[in-house]
Amino acid sequence: MKANKTELVANDFVIRAKGVSKTFGVHTALRDVNLDIQKNSVTAILGTNGAGKTTFIHCCLGLTKPSRGNLSIFGKKPGSMESRRRVGVMLQDADLPDLLTPREHIALFASYYPSPLPLANVLDICNLEGFATKKYKALSGGQKRRVQFALAIIGNPDLIFLDEPTTGLDTEARRMVWEVIRRLANEGRTIVLTTHYLEEADALSDRIVVLDAGNVIANAPTAEIQALAGGAMIKCVTDIPPKDIGKMPKVVSVRHNGRFTEINTQDSPSTLRALLSEDANLSELIVKKPSLEEAFDQLTHSQKKKS
Amino acid sequence: MMKPLFLNIYFHESGAEILKALRAPEYIVPTLVLPVAFYLFFAFAMPGAGTENARYLLATYGVFAVMGPSIFGFGVGVANERDRGWLKLKRASPSPSLSYIAAKITVTLIFASLALIPIYLAAGFGAHIALPRGQWVMLLGIHLLSVIPFVLIGLTLGFSLGSNAAIAVSNIAFLGMSALGGLWIPTFLFPPLMQKISVSLPSYQLAEIALSIVGANANAGAPRMPLHNLTIVAIMTAFLAVLAYWAWAKQRN
Repeated sequence: MKANKTELVANDFVIRAKGVSKTFGVHTALRDVNLDIQKNSVTAILGTNGAGKTTFIHCCLGLTKPSRGNLSIFGKKPGSMESRRRVGVMLQDADLPDLLTPREHIALFASYYPSPLPLANVLDICNLEGFATKKYKALSGGQKRRVQFALAIIGNPDLIFLDEPTTGLDTEARRMVWEVIRRLANEGRTIVLTTHYLEEADALSDRIVVLDAGNVIANAPTAEIQALAGGAMIKCVTDIPPKDIGKMPKVVSVRHNGRFTEINTQDSPSTLRALLSEDANLSELIVKKPSLEEAFDQLTHSQKKKS
Repeated sequence: MMKPLFLNIYFHESGAEILKALRAPEYIVPTLVLPVAFYLFFAFAMPGAGTENARYLLATYGVFAVMGPSIFGFGVGVANERDRGWLKLKRASPSPSLSYIAAKITVTLIFASLALIPIYLAAGFGAHIALPRGQWVMLLGIHLLSVIPFVLIGLTLGFSLGSNAAIAVSNIAFLGMSALGGLWIPTFLFPPLMQKISVSLPSYQLAEIALSIVGANANAGAPRMPLHNLTIVAIMTAFLAVLAYWAWAKQRN
């Protein structure tokens, strides 16, 4: 009975984190993180610098030991040989030795894994053919990141960690990485990526986890997070009292900023219709998508209201 | 699913290390050229050079030739690859950490041998040092065994220093152990305090063993005691192994 149950759990969840905390001296990088990541999902971990994203990934890889709590990867200890054979990773600040070529680097990494992808395939998928035989040190920053990305997938892993995979990439390379991530996800792999960009999380993930100062402040399907973060922000000069605006359709919050009124709404057209019909003199109208910071503000705010 | 064989990984890793070394002239040239160049200069070109000098320097420059690739390959090489986050990525990958070290030791042994060959040739054919075949084999053995303590010193430096500091400290360790270990000038010419320092260096102890193998004259009447030296080397190596392990474990967190 018990064995059956573990099997079920191991099959459903690739990563299980229960009460995971990590402190470095007086600094708390992760605070009581509970997070289960389902098989065959793409999870984006969003957060500002220092939110704990990289620490969480390092814990999952066994590079850092959690100070407290339980963490398992495929039901195994993070960093065990068994889990490492099924994991591919692109770290944020891991540069490769200068004097080998991308082809040599990837071939070496392939030898570590039980059933790696064919080298030629990976060179092709990651679009490395143009510089596969150049020395690593002669590559541009974006090319280097693409080689690092290739190392993450060469092992044909079931679970892939990508720590800020598109930082430093130009638009074209970013699109390539997105495309490969989608393809890998369609093939049934589990992907965990961190990013600064809400847009990237939105484009790739089916689940978003928001970390703020080491706390998980949101963990929900991507669509829900988007709604929670508010669809848009309306900025204008108007005489309507905030109290009345708050009652308008789809409005999440209202505040004054100098002579401007800022309104967060889940659906800007409905709110705008109401606003414009109430105030004919409304002026200096701007509608924009909230930035990640504004989304965070709102998430933290709504979190506090709930508790 | 087939498990990747350790041997297969080790071969791949060694191949990569060889390529890296061959593409780094700043590593290759001093490693291969300097020891034999110094040997030719001091054993043949210096005034007063003779068979006795050539015999003495065959033993000591052999240790010198092995010390270079060991200390620099590991001290500077590991510090650089750790600094850039490469070792962290390897730790997250299923590469056994032993295969990385084993591959680096293999490459060190290859380049140490390549540095020793021209010295042996110059000594044998140039200075006509005639040793029984068994003595040559023993000499090669002790010279190659010297890799172990120096690699451990290199590893300790590589795991505990940043790449720039590692270059500086490796140079100091390399030159200091060469000079004070009596690899250039016999230690009996040193003032007493310096002689005391010499005795505490693995370079000195290893050179003493090599000197007794080539049958260099014992100086100032003190008989050579190779077994005594070997015991001291073994103790030093054990101590250095603990130190390297400690440095390795410390940088992991």
